[in-house]
Amino acid sequence: MEPDGSGRIRVAGLAKRFGTVEAVRGLSFTVEPGAVTGFLGPNGSGKTTTLRAILGLVQPTSGSALVEGVPYPRLRAPARVVGAVLEAQGVHPARSARRHLQACAAAVGAPDARVEEMLGLVGLTIAADRPAGGFSLGMHQRLALAAALLGDPRILVLDEPGNGLDPQGIAWLREFLRGFARSGRTVLVSSHQLAEIGQTVDRLVVVDAGSCVYQGGLDGLRGRATVRVRCADPAALAEALAARGVLEIDHLPSGELAVAADAVLVGDTALAAGVALYGLAEVRGDLEQMFLRLTGGAV
Amino acid sequence: MTLILPTAGVLRSETLKALSVKTWWALAIPVAALALTVNVFGGLFGAAAGGLVDDGVPGILLASLAYALSLAGVFAAVQGVVLASAEFRHRTVSGTYLLGGRGPVLLAKGAVAAGIGAGYALVTAVVGLLAGLLGQGAARLPSVWPLLGVIGSGIAVCALWAVLGVALGTVVVHQAGAVVALLLWVLVIENLVSLVLRSGADSDRAPGVLARITSYLPANAGDIALYDLPARALGGRFGPSIVETLAGVAGPPPGWGALLVLLVWTGAAVALAHVVGERRDIT
Repeated sequence: MEPDGSGRIRVAGLAKRFGTVEAVRGLSFTVEPGAVTGFLGPNGSGKTTTLRAILGLVQPTSGSALVEGVPYPRLRAPARVVGAVLEAQGVHPARSARRHLQACAAAVGAPDARVEEMLGLVGLTIAADRPAGGFSLGMHQRLALAAALLGDPRILVLDEPGNGLDPQGIAWLREFLRGFARSGRTVLVSSHQLAEIGQTVDRLVVVDAGSCVYQGGLDGLRGRATVRVRCADPAALAEALAARGVLEIDHLPSGELAVAADAVLVGDTALAAGVALYGLAEVRGDLEQMFLRLTGGAV
Repeated sequence: MTLILPTAGVLRSETLKALSVKTWWALAIPVAALALTVNVFGGLFGAAAGGLVDDGVPGILLASLAYALSLAGVFAAVQGVVLASAEFRHRTVSGTYLLGGRGPVLLAKGAVAAGIGAGYALVTAVVGLLAGLLGQGAARLPSVWPLLGVIGSGIAVCALWAVLGVALGTVVVHQAGAVVALLLWVLVIENLVSLVLRSGADSDRAPGVLARITSYLPANAGDIALYDLPARALGGRFGPSIVETLAGVAGPPPGWGALLVLLVWTGAAVALAHVVGERRDIT
């Protein structure tokens, strides 16, 4: 099957069950070219399973995951369409980085010159002839990225690429991914930490327990205001707010409440309920809070 | 489900990968050592044959060579198992499947392993012949055609066992488990099964169906293919009964037939590995 060249990934109604565990439940989202899309969710939320389903490594129980309109295994020259950096993508410990990349290059029909180019790009030229068994996690990530780029793909899929990278490495990766997307290509990058990819991504797909809980721009997520409330009786206020239909309320460890509602409504409700307010602060654009709320985590 | 042939690139990739780690030559060392030991004393083999043949018959070297090639086949199979299961052990399989595709990778690995297995057979032939000539004396040099026949069968048997190993290492991805399973089958289970199947046979009458099955088990079939020519050189028209003793079988088919039997086993194993490998979730 011929890919349509769009650089688009389309996941539709994807579900995957491993025995009794439902890793992914009816997940649907689209990844567009020209942007970095963050794939965010807590550990165990089905991110890796979804990425592996996109790459044809995991067979969906139902639904589909298409790359440029084609299931990955049916792509004729997959490395020219998608490059993947997977969390557990290893290299034989006795094999050098250069040999590993040469073997990968042979499989995708890339010349050995491309291997040297990619070694230089990811900064592994000096370590290229050392057995990869002695590599740090960060070096493994760089090597995996070099392998993913060998075929000069239109789409890049990365599973938790920040793991093991030092701050300089993360900054370098951020610039690289943004440049890749600026050239009109597609980046899908997963993470369990918004802080790690918040500065890199243009769009977000947030998953929790195998389902999509948010999909859209960063601004859309920022647009939902949160009010932090310090008051005499948080439980009573929460009850009063709930009675008015405000249900997104988090009890913070500090004793404060984080309420997804307008500050005026919260103040009026507190007054009506007879709960003394000591502090009322509108927090806009706290992505981390929103992420945690969406994924049901404690703040 | 169709098998997609690997591209030249995938074949080259798998070759580079196999040759960039030590396994292939590390296993070639015991292969050479065994070929040396087995052939340097033709009498050793003669003793194993248990008085079936007289000393000084030219077929002895041919037979000890066949025995060494049979042992080389086990190493060829282990090499194949390691080649395939290493991808899972070192978690490199995701990258390999992404770049090469599952079916093509299986076939390319089979081809590479077959090449290395054939190499083991050649090493055995060269070392075994030299050792045999030194240890047993030049007077017993076998004639050319039976010698080439045994070496050719050895190459085929070792190559097939290597492919069988790749198939096994793809189905049973736990490396140690796969190697142990292979050795258990070849060295213990198949021999026990053969013993049981032949237990009711009466040596004065033609072997029954059960006893004949022994010739169609994979390791036995490989041995029959190897011992066919030496047995004829040793025993003439009594060749088949010598094969029966050497391979521990009853009513053996001719050597080429036994090779076909091993080929069928190999094909079945590859087909199973293809079906299992294609559906497996790589998590």
